[in-house]
Amino acid sequence: MGVALEQALPAASHEATLVAELRAGSEEAFAYLLAVYQNPVFNLVAHIVEQRTDAADVLQEVFVKVFRSIRHFHGESTLKTWIYRIAIHEASNHRRSWLRRRLREALSLDEDAAVSEMVLAKSPEQPETPYQALEQAERQKLVQRALASLAQPYRTVVVLREMEGLAYEEIAQVLGVSEGTVKSRLLRGRELLKRKLGSCMRRQDV
Amino acid sequence: MFETCVEIRRHFSDYLDDRCERESLRSIRFHLNYCASCREELEQMQAIQAELQALPRRRVPPALALSMRVHISQRVHRDLLRQLWVRCGNALQPLLIPASGGVLTAIIFFGLLMGWQVVPASNIPDVPLEIVTPPRVRELAPINFNDGDQAVVVLTQIDAAGRVVGYKVLSGPVTPELTRSLDRTIYFSLFAPATMFGRPTDGQVVLSLRRITVRG
Repeated sequence: MGVALEQALPAASHEATLVAELRAGSEEAFAYLLAVYQNPVFNLVAHIVEQRTDAADVLQEVFVKVFRSIRHFHGESTLKTWIYRIAIHEASNHRRSWLRRRLREALSLDEDAAVSEMVLAKSPEQPETPYQALEQAERQKLVQRALASLAQPYRTVVVLREMEGLAYEEIAQVLGVSEGTVKSRLLRGRELLKRKLGSCMRRQDV
Repeated sequence: MFETCVEIRRHFSDYLDDRCERESLRSIRFHLNYCASCREELEQMQAIQAELQALPRRRVPPALALSMRVHISQRVHRDLLRQLWVRCGNALQPLLIPASGGVLTAIIFFGLLMGWQVVPASNIPDVPLEIVTPPRVRELAPINFNDGDQAVVVLTQIDAAGRVVGYKVLSGPVTPELTRSLDRTIYFSLFAPATMFGRPTDGQVVLSLRRITVRG
């Protein structure tokens, strides 16, 4: 269930076996699927939902839906793309209902506190000095804020591309849009991020 | 110059993802050689991309992972049981009507068969089991008709003990001699009483008396 397992995403032939076992109701296959996909899906969902503490509930719903509908998966896309599509659908639904609730009630949100409660994986590049560690933490906080401030369609595409490393075709499949739309949303998302972070980056360079 | 910069910057996103065609790539590189502004713009975008890729990924806390696995397992199994129940119902439903019909037929058939097999208890002397029976003549005493061949019809009333309570001549000549003869005959005759649901009760019997002459 570690990073090594997470990185070893199933190949096409392996995926067919995994799907067959999931359809047969194998507990081991369910456990393996969770081990491989729960962290990427959690990361993706946490970037989409407005209140990040809700990511756990959404994650649970996503995997319940995956297990329930696995018999309807016929391999038109990869298992990863299919799971991501369910995750984005569930997260978007949750976000919409949250926004409706928020309109009715006045909620006080402490986003930073919510983020700090989450378990974050260590960055591959470890800072050498405490000063560098502080600087890196501040920079990441700025990037996180800028990313969170993007409109949801742009944010989703940027997360899928930059953080999850999906190709344009895969993103188009996950979102159910054309590649041209993915391209334009990515361009717009990057421009917005540059506009928000450009000055900070320049200051750091200086 | 400005037009070109705008046009070039539109391709920066593709450039970052290595999705530019050869011609576009050559144009971008040529432009970057002399345009410091676009170079700075691209460097900023590359820096942001690197920052995004280096962002720490959120990981599911171990406690949440465990509880989620338990919860999902419970829900999946609960659904399986429900599905099994529905499937059993669907499988049995078409058989329900034929099975009920079969059981009902068997009960009816068995009941009829057992009804025929039952031997009725015999009573000696047998008691008539009909609902209502009229009084019957067991033994008729002889009567003497002295005048002609005219018949006499008499309505006789019999009580529950089989005794004659009274009689009435319905047709025929009513002479004092005949009345005496009828009194005698009815007095010495024996009757079985009428019955209702097997129990003796009062009743009436019509007697038709006629003189029979045998020539020999």
